[in-house]
Amino acid sequence: MKISSAKLWIALVLIALAAVAPLGISGYWLRLFTFIFMWIGLAGSLNLLTGYTGYLDFGHVAFFGIGAYTTGVLMVKLGMPFFPAMLISAVLAGFLAVVVGIPTMRLRGAYFAIAMLAFAEAMKQVVLEFDGITGGGNGLSLPIYTNYQFFYYAMLGTVLLIIGTTYWFENSKFGKGLMAIREAELAAEVTGINTLYCKLIAFGISAFFAGIIGGIYAYWMTFLYPGDTFSVLITMRMIIMAFLGGAGTLLGPIIGAAFLATIEEILWAEFKYTYLIIVGFIVVFVVLILPRGLVGLFRQRILAR
Amino acid sequence: MLLQVLLNGVLIGGIYAACAVGFSLIFGVLRIINIVHGEFLMLGAFITYWLFKLHGIDPFLSIPFSFAILWILGYLLQKYVINRIIEAPEIMSLLLTFGLSLIIANLALIAWKGDYRLVNPEYAGANFRLASLTIPYTRLATSVFALAAMAGLYLFLKQTDLGRAIKATSQNKDGARLQGVHPATIYSVTFALGAAVTGIAGSLLSMSFSVFPSMGGDYLLFSFFIVVVGGMGHIPGALTGGLILGILQSLSTNFVGAGMTYILIFVLLYIVLIFRPAGIFGKGLVE
Repeated sequence: MKISSAKLWIALVLIALAAVAPLGISGYWLRLFTFIFMWIGLAGSLNLLTGYTGYLDFGHVAFFGIGAYTTGVLMVKLGMPFFPAMLISAVLAGFLAVVVGIPTMRLRGAYFAIAMLAFAEAMKQVVLEFDGITGGGNGLSLPIYTNYQFFYYAMLGTVLLIIGTTYWFENSKFGKGLMAIREAELAAEVTGINTLYCKLIAFGISAFFAGIIGGIYAYWMTFLYPGDTFSVLITMRMIIMAFLGGAGTLLGPIIGAAFLATIEEILWAEFKYTYLIIVGFIVVFVVLILPRGLVGLFRQRILAR
Repeated sequence: MLLQVLLNGVLIGGIYAACAVGFSLIFGVLRIINIVHGEFLMLGAFITYWLFKLHGIDPFLSIPFSFAILWILGYLLQKYVINRIIEAPEIMSLLLTFGLSLIIANLALIAWKGDYRLVNPEYAGANFRLASLTIPYTRLATSVFALAAMAGLYLFLKQTDLGRAIKATSQNKDGARLQGVHPATIYSVTFALGAAVTGIAGSLLSMSFSVFPSMGGDYLLFSFFIVVVGGMGHIPGALTGGLILGILQSLSTNFVGAGMTYILIFVLLYIVLIFRPAGIFGKGLVE
């Protein structure tokens, strides 16, 4: 999919608006938009894996958590500045993804999905067990940094990088190879694509970005707690956002995450469990009626005209 | 001491095996990973809890209720919801059952609150001694029931026409169709049977562990571990997998800390997936 010049202009205007927005907003709104970018980034990171390889990841929060905790530990225990700490954490997240992916991505996605659930649970326990380094169940406090515009731009920048990567997936030979694997792995293999290698690269990139977001989140929140940082809920929200918007599309995760993050902001505090029931119904609805997400629905409408 | 720890592991392992066997059956026949599995266990446990708490029904006598209620729930879910995507890419069934598990777990949370509950009949703490070993009656009885449930399922699949039709469908769907077996019916019955056996396992769990609405997640993970180790879709393998998990958990809880169990589970899972993806006997389905 090539982007037409009209769409490109809309995108540029939106980016420019996002770039100047902190001049006009502060406090609550700045925080809300930073959160929305974080979720767009996380949904986009999952989409790079799941949307393009068809491998659903029930433990993607592991890479967010690895990014957050490694950044925290490097800054607190080694006194490292934020940027190198975040980069090292993201590389570590990507590396671990490849290591975990080697046996699991040879098998069908069903094995991968739950093996990742086990991985995320194991990572949380590693943080709890090695409490001398990570603070364990007492949590980990990072140096406090209150320049909230910094976090806004950091999340926005990461989102743009992820969108750029998704665009590259959509238009490169590598991305086409991935989509071929998603649709018919055996056929892709026969045409000479090294399927395991391609899937591992996509997984590594996806985890790398989740790690970056985790690192920014850690410095932004200044306090990490294993139960929250490795929460299954984070994985669930990533999956739901990506699929509601439309997995395997450029805009899907952006739309899904922006939509759900806004609704959550309104409903979450008061109706947490009701909200999750509604979300459950949304997932069932999306699978049965709207398998290509909101973006797919919109495209169908255009084609039907 | 070590012998006692191993014995505890074996007794728990029997129950764990029963927890996983329905998961394995459903995967073997329908080729879907059923994420609602953990919620089936939770519902079975709550059925026992409420019958005991509200009507004073002995936990062991509540087992038929769990079986029947979960059978109906499983049958309806498969026939009217899951069957609609049975031919779709597997990611759809993962997502769909994930959505269903969110709905059921959070409905339970609203209805029953998040408290940890215990099923504690008068005989709950009773035990007897055998040489230097302490054996709790409840643990022993639940393990025996778990084994009986698995044996029953195994014989049903082997000896009855319906059971053989289920096995035939899992081995070769088109071949079975040619013999007059209707796959959609078999799918519904299998899913119902898998759910019902899982309901029994939930009842058995409630007699040894706390019951709460979000308990499903851990047991989904345990069940997955068990069937990967024992071989996906290979029913007798679940017994071995269950015993390995029970012993592993018992050992790690006693010697290195309960939290380590999850790390060991992942490490072992990783090793098995590298070297024995079809389970330690090599009899599971690998695709």
